[in-house]
Amino acid sequence: MTAALTVEHLTKSFGGRKAVDDVSFTLPEGAFLSVFGPNGAGKTTLLRMLATLSRPTEGTISVGGISLKEEPDRARESIGLISHNPMLYPDLTAEENLLLYAKLYGVENPQKRVIELLDAVGLKHRRLDRVRTFSRGMTQRTSIARALINDPSLVLLDEPYSGLDPHAIEIFDELIESVRENRTFVMVSHDLDKGLALASHVLVLAKGRVVAFAEKGDVADEEFRALYRSTVGLGVS
Amino acid sequence: MACKPPSTWTQYKTLLAKDLRAEFRTKDMIVSMGIYAFLVIVVFGVSLSFARPGSEFLEVSGGLLWALVVFTSLLGLNRSFAHETENGCLEGLLLAPLDRGVIFLSKATSNLIFLALVEVIAVPLYWVFFSSFAAPAETGWLLVVPLLLGSVGIAGIGTLLSTITASTRGKDVMLALLFVPIVFPLLYACVSATTCALVGGDVFADGFMTSLALAAGYDVIMILASWVLYDFVVN
Repeated sequence: MTAALTVEHLTKSFGGRKAVDDVSFTLPEGAFLSVFGPNGAGKTTLLRMLATLSRPTEGTISVGGISLKEEPDRARESIGLISHNPMLYPDLTAEENLLLYAKLYGVENPQKRVIELLDAVGLKHRRLDRVRTFSRGMTQRTSIARALINDPSLVLLDEPYSGLDPHAIEIFDELIESVRENRTFVMVSHDLDKGLALASHVLVLAKGRVVAFAEKGDVADEEFRALYRSTVGLGVS
Repeated sequence: MACKPPSTWTQYKTLLAKDLRAEFRTKDMIVSMGIYAFLVIVVFGVSLSFARPGSEFLEVSGGLLWALVVFTSLLGLNRSFAHETENGCLEGLLLAPLDRGVIFLSKATSNLIFLALVEVIAVPLYWVFFSSFAAPAETGWLLVVPLLLGSVGIAGIGTLLSTITASTRGKDVMLALLFVPIVFPLLYACVSATTCALVGGDVFADGFMTSLALAAGYDVIMILASWVLYDFVVN
């Protein structure tokens, strides 16, 4: 069976500094990978390469068997990214924003898809309001709809809880849970509890290198927390 | 749910419509460019109010018109990319399966439309304001040709440069520092062609077509280069 995500010897250098250094892992379909590490460990750089927003210096990534290097546009059709940046135009309405992305991805019957997604994130009644008028939580929910517009098989989450209040976090978790089926997730987070609760796999990075990669069942939570604390202590050079 | 990769033309139209819709809703860029253009005309008018009327004035009026166009377009170009960097929207576009050149072409087209809209108001105003100093030649109306060629080049190279400077500190100054030297050959050709059109006679016959050819050549080369380089720049 083809792995949902395969990363092999991935390296990203900025000048002489390696932000990501020889990272390799494989995820099966439906997996939820939580990536932990101290600030500057290379988590966001790794995620940006998975999202095709940054090109690796060395190594390969394939999503569902499609190489990001050789067929980036085909791979992009199966990738969605949710980050603390909502990637929504503030002066367009929620519906206009989602229609824009739906048309860029070539979604069939875009209007229907947009209404479905806005309904799913509980914002159908605000679809004609400009995103500028939304609260942080509402913007993030619209951002989830944006990331799912192309029905991606790989969903990338970059610090998705950043700036959300507890109620918004609750809604966000419910939304993620509702779309988990048949999708693979990679989440970068500093929130150890949240990351461990959602994860099927965990990856710890420090100084750009893999310190640990395991299926969650293989390592006890306490053992993992101890490992994480020790890596955070490593900091960055 | 199925996705069928859309044509490049569809993606171009979608992005252009997005830019036009966002701008016509807020009118941020057009209003600030329009007000700025009007103020520049007023300042030029006051500065020249003690000059003696005469044909010499026509020889500098082309340069003044282009000073107006360049400074107004710089203001617009700085603002045009601000929409893309706010909320990380550019990353949203880069995540989509589309050629980066399409982002460039749609942005350059929208910048050209906004600049042209401001010119449609500012140039007649400039004409009325300054025709009191010296009457332009019969060929004066031909200044629309260098204006069109110059605007195309400014929108094209300006879009690339505003993308480069969008994430830099002091982006307003950075854009001006990069833009003016790079656009200098185009500016020179357009000022020359505009002056030829306004002065008319032998001056027109001598330099108009040559200057236009230079401006058109610059546009073709620089827009092609910007289109090719855009993928590298946004990545």
